[in-house]
Amino acid sequence: MASVIGAAARSTRPRISALHGLVAGAALLLALWPLVFGNKFLLALATLVALYAIGAASLHLIIRTGHVSFAHAGFMGVAGYVAVLSQMRLGLPFAAALPLGCLAAATVALAIGPLILRVTGKYFVLVTFLFGEILRLVFTEWTAVTGGSNGIFDVPPPAPVFATPLGFYYLALGAAVLCVGIVARILGSEIGRTIDALREAERLAECSGVPVIRWKVAVFVVACALAGVQGVLQAHYLRLIDPTTFSIVESLNLVVMNVIGGMQRLAGALIGALFLTALPELLRGYVEMQRVFFGIILIIVMAALPGGIIEIGARLRALGKAR
Amino acid sequence: MSRLLETSGLSRSFGGLRAVAGLSFAVAEGEILGLIGPNGAGKTTAINLLSGVIKPNAGRVVFAGEEVTGLPPHHLARKGLVRTFQSTVVYGHRTVRENALRGAFLGLYPGVVPAFLGTLRARARRRETEDRIAELLAWFGLDHLGEAIAGSLPYGRQKSLGMVIALAARPRLLMLDEPVAGLAAEEADQVLETIRRIRQRGVTLIVVDHNMRFISGLCDRLVVLHHGQELAQGTPQQVLADSAVIAAYLGRGHGAA
Ligand SMILES: Nc1ncnc2c1ncn2[C@@H]1O[C@H](COP(=O)(O)OP(=O)(O)OP(=O)(O)O)[C@@H](O)[C@H]1O
Ligand SMILES: [Mg+2]
Repeated sequence: MASVIGAAARSTRPRISALHGLVAGAALLLALWPLVFGNKFLLALATLVALYAIGAASLHLIIRTGHVSFAHAGFMGVAGYVAVLSQMRLGLPFAAALPLGCLAAATVALAIGPLILRVTGKYFVLVTFLFGEILRLVFTEWTAVTGGSNGIFDVPPPAPVFATPLGFYYLALGAAVLCVGIVARILGSEIGRTIDALREAERLAECSGVPVIRWKVAVFVVACALAGVQGVLQAHYLRLIDPTTFSIVESLNLVVMNVIGGMQRLAGALIGALFLTALPELLRGYVEMQRVFFGIILIIVMAALPGGIIEIGARLRALGKAR
Repeated sequence: MSRLLETSGLSRSFGGLRAVAGLSFAVAEGEILGLIGPNGAGKTTAINLLSGVIKPNAGRVVFAGEEVTGLPPHHLARKGLVRTFQSTVVYGHRTVRENALRGAFLGLYPGVVPAFLGTLRARARRRETEDRIAELLAWFGLDHLGEAIAGSLPYGRQKSLGMVIALAARPRLLMLDEPVAGLAAEEADQVLETIRRIRQRGVTLIVVDHNMRFISGLCDRLVVLHHGQELAQGTPQQVLADSAVIAAYLGRGHGAA
């Protein structure tokens, strides 16, 4: 028994301070990134990582309730289309269009959440897979509004300052810090404790007074609204919105980010977003073999680190202790 | 004494099997009621029905003068109806203290906005709850194990932790599903003492077991279940003298059950 207690006490303390240091370091690096690397390619890459961090972190929030959603990119699309259309057709400013888009994603989540969050495991995967596909069909087939598979071109920049790659990078970074910060705060509060409780032992949590379904729906709604931020910003970044950016492949991508980074912790989602966004870009030189290399690397990582890349930290700590 | 809980005609079938059929009884405030019967008699099903974990096919449950039939568990917990589980249920990968805090959700959780912002009120609740939890853990002899991982504890300790989780929700009526099953004699005696002390604190109890000796020493009244139906009801003396009980449960019926 003594060893169990000792181990728990030892591992919690330093982990917190190390994490804080890591976060501070990462924030500094990200803020200075464009100054250090004046390279266009690296700036574009950093922008994409910031955008995907939003999607991956918000999906992580849903995963923490015990549900792996394969419709996450679909919700991004809802927000993206609503924001772009309200800006281009209705002439709303970006500052109003962005929250409106997120509100739309949240509304759709609220409408289907109470139905689909009652199923778990592979059935939830299937149901969300189908729902994501339905959303993509709407984006593709509702040509009069969405522009069909061609999408909508010439999406204006959010504001003149954000028209340059550097300006947009800071916008994306700011949004990522805000959204990831919200997720981190949720998970670190009593809300996070309750989310973990209902995932680990739903019945027990319910008998302690937790309205489980209501909580799952609330988390789902918030996460889909946050994912909407990526959807909207991405449309402005690409200056284009079309169904392919919100397809099932994109949803799968977000799931893989969480799996490969590590599903137990928010940091895993962020590591996954970095890894999965950077890797294909860095493999661009090998066009022919890109997918093959990518696949092989994924398999090697998953075989070596079944708990995700974040496991490296635990392994290193174990090594340090063994010495 | 006033009636805290009352059921009438409570029934639940699984397919063709009548797990609980027409169960009617009342629990007075401050009482310890024993629910007893052989394996498969329907005791756990009855607790599941009373705690809202499953819904009845027929019958009524009235708690504190209010009809609560078919309400979900979280709703009933909020009203003060809390239960433990027969096969120990704890959050196995978490510390003992974390387990207890999770049990205290109703007292701890200050609402979405205060929780998110970590307001003064949220922090005050947290402190209050932590004090209460510390007291509970000390009471169950788990205070020195606060940082131990629940799943690594011996069986008896996990059962105690299950009771801590339930008590952390501040029940008015606590339902314990086989609190001493699988425990050694001394451990069982301790649990008995603990149950008496829980009652002294003003909590009414329903205790499920199939050991007549254990339960008749503890309870004010007994309800005997057999094949989902009530076989007898009354004080332990009355029930022990009941010929149907002797025949079906204590005598040859034990094997037949
Ligand atoms: N969810 C369920 N689905 C189908 N049958 C069930 C279900 N729950 C209980 N039963 C059946 O109902 C009957 C009563 O079961 P219950 O668990 O209530 O008995 P018990 O008195 O608690 O027994 P034990 O002493 O073994 O715990 C049993 O025959 C059991 O197989
Ligand atoms: Mg049982």
